[in-house]
Amino acid sequence: MKDKISALMDDEIPMDESDHLMIAISSESEVSDCWSTYHLIGDVMRGNPMLSHDFTERLMAKIGEEPTVLAPKAKRSFFNMSMLLSVAASMAAVTFVGWMVLQQQVQPNGVAPIEIANNIPTEYLLAHQSMASSSAAYYIQPASFTQASSK
Amino acid sequence: MRRLLLLCFFLGNVGQALAESDDTWLLLQKASQAARELSYQGVFVYQSGSSAKSVQITHMNFGQGEYARMVVLDGQPREVLSQGPDVVIFSPHNEKVVIEKRHRQSMFPALLPANMDNIKLSYLAKAGGIERVGGRDGQVVILSPKDQLRYAYKLWTDREYGILLKAATLNEKNEVLEQIGFNQLTLLNSQKLDWFQPSVEYNKSYVVEDSMPAKTVNDVPDWLVSEIPQGYHKVDEVMRTVPGKQNPVTQLIYSDGLASVSLFIEPLLKGAAPRTGHTSMGATNFFALVADGHQVMAVGEVPEATVSQFASAVSFKK
Repeated sequence: MKDKISALMDDEIPMDESDHLMIAISSESEVSDCWSTYHLIGDVMRGNPMLSHDFTERLMAKIGEEPTVLAPKAKRSFFNMSMLLSVAASMAAVTFVGWMVLQQQVQPNGVAPIEIANNIPTEYLLAHQSMASSSAAYYIQPASFTQASSK
Repeated sequence: MRRLLLLCFFLGNVGQALAESDDTWLLLQKASQAARELSYQGVFVYQSGSSAKSVQITHMNFGQGEYARMVVLDGQPREVLSQGPDVVIFSPHNEKVVIEKRHRQSMFPALLPANMDNIKLSYLAKAGGIERVGGRDGQVVILSPKDQLRYAYKLWTDREYGILLKAATLNEKNEVLEQIGFNQLTLLNSQKLDWFQPSVEYNKSYVVEDSMPAKTVNDVPDWLVSEIPQGYHKVDEVMRTVPGKQNPVTQLIYSDGLASVSLFIEPLLKGAAPRTGHTSMGATNFFALVADGHQVMAVGEVPEATVSQFASAVSFKK
């Protein structure tokens, strides 16, 4: 298993001349035991949900355990139905007007632009900080950045 | 004769003033070296806007290269281990600990580059008085920009060790946008490296975030960057993934030796909401625009004028 970790470190994770992770892992056998159970998933922290490798199996197993609920369908009276229809009609009218208004603001690609003043683009900030050579902020980002990135 | 004496006196003063300016650059040169070559331990505080965080740092270099460990003491735990140019960041997230790898970060107190030539083109260095920082005597150096395209920096260098004790980013109104400085600092004598390992939580799983940007670059880009703000030069260009985006984004990184700007360029996909406008956060300014079906975004610890100029410098081939 240790070899496997080492291989992962060498092949998938280019860490030229940086053996400090390995120092940390090999310094205590308990840690290396623990390490062998780690799941190596690429590009998980930011944006993508973090799922363990057996997530699908576990989810399917959980779903398998759930009891199937068999309930009879409730009968709907004509009166209720017509009420619903009129509500639906007025909703449709409102939606149509709203849609007309929206159409006038929409950009060529069909989606209204987002003002970044109302919505700080944290993903770009993180990308900037991870590459910019003079950024002191990266490793001590405010908690909100980290939370935003792990959504 | 009197006139000659006066002239000598005048010339003497000019000579002295020039020497002082050179000395000031030497102070910064020394600070850059000391941060990398000394072995030290301390606690520094990073402050941006209303948020402040303390970080414990241990840095060792006894000629075998640089080893450093930084532990964030406030709020969300975070730990950074670096060896030479390689940086590994450990951040616990709920049940997991995410491991990120980075390269070439200039981290406090090594904020200044080894080569000052670029900085000299865009900034003037002026020595100030002596101010105490973290119980130590600091020599104040002001780096003031020669134009409106960058912020000013107030730096404190240790009178004894030469190391950078504190750095503050100032806007044109002389207001502090962000600052980072030691609360305490001691030199290390021991050469033991036993501290150089992350604190491991055995009940958590460790996940490697493999987001090192790919070095490959589009063969024929359909964009062109011309007339970038003065004093900045391109230091890197990558195609990378940005969280929440499926297609790779081009990231160009520019620097004036101290401040840096990232320029992101990507084709605007159907159905994706374009971003426009300007905003800021601490010392960081953002400028976004849409041009010829592309999203352009400039981000950097620079004034608004600079990010807006960068974003506007991108044009597209038809």
